[in-house]
Amino acid sequence: MNQLASLLPLLIIIAAGLIILIMEAFGRGGSRLPHAALAVVALIGGLIYSFSFFGKNAGYFSGAYVLDDVAILLFAIFSLAGILVVLLSVTAMVEHDFNRGEVFALLLFAVAGLMIMASSQDLVVIFLGLETLSISSYVLAGLKKQDQKSSEAAIKYFLLGSLASAFLVLGLAFIYLQAQSLSLNEITHLSSADLASPVFLVGLCLVLIGFGFKVALVPFHMWTPDVYQGAPTPITAFFSTGPKAAGFVVLLRIFWPILRSELSPSSFPLILWILSALTMIVGNLVALRQKNVKRLLAYSSIAHAGYLTVAILSRDARGLIFYLLAYLFMNIGAFAILVALSSKGQEFHELDDFNGLSLRAPWLAASMSLFLFSLAGFPPTAGFLAKFYVFSQAVKQGLTSLVIVAVLASLVSVYYYLRVIVHMYMVKETPAQVAVKGDNPLLLLIVFFCVYGVLYLGLFPRAIIGLLQKAISSLSLL
Amino acid sequence: MTFLPLAGAILLIFIPKERKDIHRLFALFVSLLTFALSLFVFSAFDASRPEAQLIEKGMWLGYGINYHVGVDGLSLLLVLLTTFLFPVAVLSGWHYIDQRVKEYHIFLLFLETGILGVFVSLNLFLFYVFWEVMLIPMYFLIGLWGGPRRIYATIKFVLFTMLGSLLMLVAIFVLYSYYYKATGTYSFEIADLNRMVLLPGVQTWLFLAFALAFAIKVPMFPFHTWLPDAHVEAPTAGSVILAAVLLKMGVYGFLRLAIPLFPEAVARFTPLLMVLSLIGIIYGGMMALIQKDVKSLVAYSSVSHMGLIMLALFSLNQEAIQGSIIQMVNHGLSTGALFLIVGILYERAHTRLIKDYGGVSRQMPVLAAFFLVCLLSSLGLPGLNGFVGEILCLFGVFQANKVMAYLAVTTVILAAAYLLWMYQRVMHGPIVHDYVRSFRDLNLREIVYLAPVVVLMFWVGIFPNFFLRNTDASVQLLLRRVEEHRKVFVLKDKAVQPAIILPADYSQEVKQAASAVFSSNLTPEVKEAK
Repeated sequence: MNQLASLLPLLIIIAAGLIILIMEAFGRGGSRLPHAALAVVALIGGLIYSFSFFGKNAGYFSGAYVLDDVAILLFAIFSLAGILVVLLSVTAMVEHDFNRGEVFALLLFAVAGLMIMASSQDLVVIFLGLETLSISSYVLAGLKKQDQKSSEAAIKYFLLGSLASAFLVLGLAFIYLQAQSLSLNEITHLSSADLASPVFLVGLCLVLIGFGFKVALVPFHMWTPDVYQGAPTPITAFFSTGPKAAGFVVLLRIFWPILRSELSPSSFPLILWILSALTMIVGNLVALRQKNVKRLLAYSSIAHAGYLTVAILSRDARGLIFYLLAYLFMNIGAFAILVALSSKGQEFHELDDFNGLSLRAPWLAASMSLFLFSLAGFPPTAGFLAKFYVFSQAVKQGLTSLVIVAVLASLVSVYYYLRVIVHMYMVKETPAQVAVKGDNPLLLLIVFFCVYGVLYLGLFPRAIIGLLQKAISSLSLL
Repeated sequence: MTFLPLAGAILLIFIPKERKDIHRLFALFVSLLTFALSLFVFSAFDASRPEAQLIEKGMWLGYGINYHVGVDGLSLLLVLLTTFLFPVAVLSGWHYIDQRVKEYHIFLLFLETGILGVFVSLNLFLFYVFWEVMLIPMYFLIGLWGGPRRIYATIKFVLFTMLGSLLMLVAIFVLYSYYYKATGTYSFEIADLNRMVLLPGVQTWLFLAFALAFAIKVPMFPFHTWLPDAHVEAPTAGSVILAAVLLKMGVYGFLRLAIPLFPEAVARFTPLLMVLSLIGIIYGGMMALIQKDVKSLVAYSSVSHMGLIMLALFSLNQEAIQGSIIQMVNHGLSTGALFLIVGILYERAHTRLIKDYGGVSRQMPVLAAFFLVCLLSSLGLPGLNGFVGEILCLFGVFQANKVMAYLAVTTVILAAAYLLWMYQRVMHGPIVHDYVRSFRDLNLREIVYLAPVVVLMFWVGIFPNFFLRNTDASVQLLLRRVEEHRKVFVLKDKAVQPAIILPADYSQEVKQAASAVFSSNLTPEVKEAK
């Protein structure tokens, strides 16, 4: 159904981003609260408006932009991530030298990029979205102008990101060569002979490399720890959730038809299988050795990309989206705690800085433990149910051996997540210089919201699952 | 009932942390209330019905994941044991736990919910959730209030348990997908899954995954290494709960899941499992003999006693299984009590080494009396509870395998040796260390929590039937199901389908029913051959 109105959610967000830019250009500095407020209002507005299209499968530009139900749910994830990150930035920006209104504009543009990626059926448009996202991200990573690590992060991200984009474009060219089209609808209807041709396979692998970079699959993950560590913490929270969600949904859309067992070129699932296993194993093993919690979370996010690839491989859209949603809450929650552990341009993210946190800030320590337990996949948290859905579906699709690799990898992860808790609860001596922002109401609100999300998704997710189920049915029509 | 402790824990969060006594009293009150409720369950329980009773059921997540709890003869006594021991555990830490009193009680009550949940779950998913949830409070209990090597011990405990339970999770998924393939519907209900008969090859792998999880928990012989560490480092209440209740979850897992779900695989692995149990009995006993630390001595004695329980379980006959259930309760009582007493001694002397004591009975005659009773109960003196369980277990094992039974009797001899020798060195003899002279005997609080345990020991010892009769029907049903389940494999080589579902009522004609289901997928030649 063609409807110009379905473009509105996207337009609202881009317009708000432009307005913020103008406000910043003609404003006099000072508080950036109005900018932030506008960003939040735009994100909420876009979200609510997009939900009015739920179940309608509206779209525009003859299939290049389709606001199907999956896209709407993804909008919800992006907007939530966007709102939480905007609020987190407000609590941290003054102290950490990125007190500029562009933050919000760039965040909104990045969210717009994500939305384009999630809602397009055309690979070229998806690429467009990816670039919108990437360019905003490069700038966001380097926001702390005085900080060497931040600049290093931006450069690294930019160089490697451009390389990945190049691979992606080359891959698209190969696919076009075989399919004579870049529309996902037409690729879906290719004959199995076309799908099995080496040219197409090379194209797919190059596309996989391009997106593998974005979602941090091993061996395309090298940028992740450095960028995560260098970027301002709220921005890292965004990088680890938003782009990951969009990347995986695009992968799902591209590979969904191709992985249908009767069609799939035999070697392609194997490649994904190996990537997924490698990602889980390497991510978790390297995380074991990290002394810095921010880096640790970076490696853990690599490991989670591995679990998510399991969902791609078993064509499990429901599990994938649920996982992304759960991951959003637990990861942003954990980063919010990291934001709390900082002051005046200093960040206290070494493991030893967490010593005795449970005595100084019991609520923050308890929330952090909850997020870590959720990341490790303990019930009754969202992380457990997310893993549960993904893995059970994978076993049903006959990927038992991959699931065994996955659970063993997550056993390893239990160790390093628990180590943070050991430092918070079981090591007594308190480092003197560590400041804790335990009283910032906005920060506490974010943490509380994430705790609520983690527990709600872990205990009573029936409504959400029902919604997902409805949304997926629109996907299978493809 | 399950969630009452959790509700209590949540309320505790809101009591300010300076009011330590209020926390203690409130936790005691909640755990006593839970115990009272479980007594009500006990009295409402109808011993003649084999299936689960007092059921609560509600939709939870859909796709076969329901909130479904109830008790039957297999779980009733364990539920009672759990609720009985928690007030005792709360009392035992009354003064010893002086830091973070609030968190301590929150975790303790949280743990109680987790354990009760495992025992009453009738839905496999729910079972798994509780099984895992229970790790979190235990992790904190050992890690926060434990001894010097507590962090090593607690992480070892969590990782060992997780290793088993994650592989079990994969097996659960496989089971679930087989059920879906066989029926086209989703179900995690244990009762539904029990009706499914899988091919022996599949059963083997699934059984191994389940068995690993449970064997680690029990712990059976090569998987026991976490136990002494966790026990030695845990605070008294932690050790009591760990020994008395947590270990039982492993045995219960075999009883509730592994045996009825995979009888064919159980039959195949019985020799191996029995030999491992036997090694556990003898090895645990030997290790206990040479321990210098009282607490690790009791810990190794647990390994030995749990070996006997497992041996009885795999004998798969009425006496043996009933014996192992009652022996689980006995072991909970006697080992729990021994840990309590070790805790009392530790509070006075701050050492657990046997050589640091000696002649304690002169200063503490009341403790000496309690200690002796618990000891004798643990080594199976007639008239006390241990005797009933051990004799039933050994009878059962004897029916199954005579050689095993002869060797298993060593458990009694070894127990007598290491326990009495330890008692002699700790309680009798001259007073070597001066600080022993300053020991005060038990105070009222300590007597209040030891006395009920000892009373129960006599009660079970003298009137075992009061407890045992509750298990009759359920054990019979379990054994009958296992038998009927295995009858299906008369046809095993001809089956095309990987899984079939037995009729709900387990009719006597199970063989015909099974062959009817199978035959729809049999090739014509096989049909003729039949």
